[in-house]
Amino acid sequence: RCRHCPPLRALQASAVLRRVSDEHKKEPLTSSSQQQFDSHPAGHQPEQDPQGPRPSYTGQGGQESEDYESEEQLQHRILTAALEFVPEHGWTAEAIAEGAKTLGLSVAAAGMFHSDGSELVLHFVSECNTKLSELLKQEQKLVQLGKAEKKPTDEFLRDAVEARLRMLIPYIEKWPQALSVLLLPRNIPSSLSLLTSMIDDIWHYAGDQSTDFNWYTRRAVLTGIYNTTELVMLQDSSPDFEDTWRFLENRVADAMNMSNTASQVQSTGEAVVQGLMGAAVTVSNAETSRAVR
Amino acid sequence: LCRCRCRCRALLSRPPGAPRALRGFAAGPEMHFGFQTVTEAERREKIYQVFENVAKKYDVMNDSMTLGVHRLWKDILVHKMNPTPGTLLLDVAGGTGDIAFRFINYVRAAREQQLQRKLKHHQDLSWQEIFDSYQEDKFHSLGDSQAVVCDINREMLKVGKQKAQHLGYSEGLSWVLGNAEELPFDDDKFDVYTIAFGIRNVTRIDLALQEAYRVLKPGGRFLCLEFSHVTNPLVSRLYDLYSFQVIPVLGEVIAGDWNSYQYLVESIRRFPPQEELKEMIEDAGFFKVDYENLNFGIVAIHSGFKL
Repeated sequence: RCRHCPPLRALQASAVLRRVSDEHKKEPLTSSSQQQFDSHPAGHQPEQDPQGPRPSYTGQGGQESEDYESEEQLQHRILTAALEFVPEHGWTAEAIAEGAKTLGLSVAAAGMFHSDGSELVLHFVSECNTKLSELLKQEQKLVQLGKAEKKPTDEFLRDAVEARLRMLIPYIEKWPQALSVLLLPRNIPSSLSLLTSMIDDIWHYAGDQSTDFNWYTRRAVLTGIYNTTELVMLQDSSPDFEDTWRFLENRVADAMNMSNTASQVQSTGEAVVQGLMGAAVTVSNAETSRAVR
Repeated sequence: LCRCRCRCRALLSRPPGAPRALRGFAAGPEMHFGFQTVTEAERREKIYQVFENVAKKYDVMNDSMTLGVHRLWKDILVHKMNPTPGTLLLDVAGGTGDIAFRFINYVRAAREQQLQRKLKHHQDLSWQEIFDSYQEDKFHSLGDSQAVVCDINREMLKVGKQKAQHLGYSEGLSWVLGNAEELPFDDDKFDVYTIAFGIRNVTRIDLALQEAYRVLKPGGRFLCLEFSHVTNPLVSRLYDLYSFQVIPVLGEVIAGDWNSYQYLVESIRRFPPQEELKEMIEDAGFFKVDYENLNFGIVAIHSGFKL
């Protein structure tokens, strides 16, 4: 879609889209949420520098994209503002309308999004994943600088999953609704890609260098751990979700044992091992191929 | 009538991609009224007369021409709007109030759901607080939503007001006489601006779009429901057949007015197609402009936001 009258547009000062320079002074880190559906957010996301204007997505009308934020950026702002109203209104168009109101926009701006709140949930998940990446990157930096000890794999995985799940705590009451939205057929490609990229991230920072079958098995296993722990968390009423973290600990320990057992068994019965590996690969292949599609 | 037909043949020889200037803008004093060519002033007068004549039978004719489907189209429009309680709607060329009534129903239902959810949420209030909340909610069954119906034609407004009384719509409605090209409202007032089957009759569409932009709040939404162009060739043939052979006849039989309905059908053919209207809306300053075809493009809903 091309706007064939850029001069006309630039003359008409947009009522809402702020100049990018203004926005930069206030929130230098917001654009990290732009790379929503990037499959490798962690290693490739550049650090935000507050000086130059960001390139916008709809960069076809030259003048407006340099000086003003794009519609996508405005939508991100609205969704971020809407998160505050989720505990009260749920993941719905109403929460988005309230969020738009706080930005000084009309409630009708919620019409830019689907009425089932899909974009709000996906936005939140992507923000959480970005936050997790930042966290893991910081930790890695500390380890590299020698200021912290490198954690053993099981502890690393446990802490990473716990940190990620803790981000759900403010919205835990309405999280079942969010899960059902994520499972809508229309949203499955996006939600699956967000999930796999997050798991990928965690393994990357855990130091996983595998280039063989292990790559698939590890991701399949961690995805299983994450999903089951998330479901347990939804029904957990213990103080500070202690039961959930204990469950997580056990699952991670199981996974570690499983890999040890596997190497022992391999030295005893090769045919049995082949069968097990084959099944795991088939399952994880199906999952990854669905994600790739 | 035969004057229409003769001119029709002459004008149809013009290439279909006629520059926009000849359709929506006044290139000199020449404008179209159906397939006739008239001056701007004549056009306004003629259109006013058309609607003055059909006002009383407007709803009946809508039902018979579209076999009741126009109700679905209007329902879809309001569903797409998805208004939350507290929304201020301006329905331009709203005449007999169809959109406004649907809006009120929708908002009322949404408000009830909202109140129920609030009750469930506040499980631990004291008796005094519960009593207070009942008191305040009783008077807000619409949650401060308001619909303003604006029309240029007094007769249409009269019919609309009578209908409202008859159907029992008392609160949340206002009726204003006004011209879409020069609205009697302040800037940045409304959340949603709708114009259903009205923009076709506006003489200067660009002015109407600019006015729409002006009266909407930042973030406000523009919605236009209008007859549009059918691309599917089979449907197009059937549609043309129905439009030119059946509708004027119905007009004569039911409303006693062949000419008005001939005008209606011709004005549909002269109206800009979907993409062109989308560009015109973008020119007025709206963002995220999009359209949705209903029934193969017989009708289209255009939507834009004031961002």
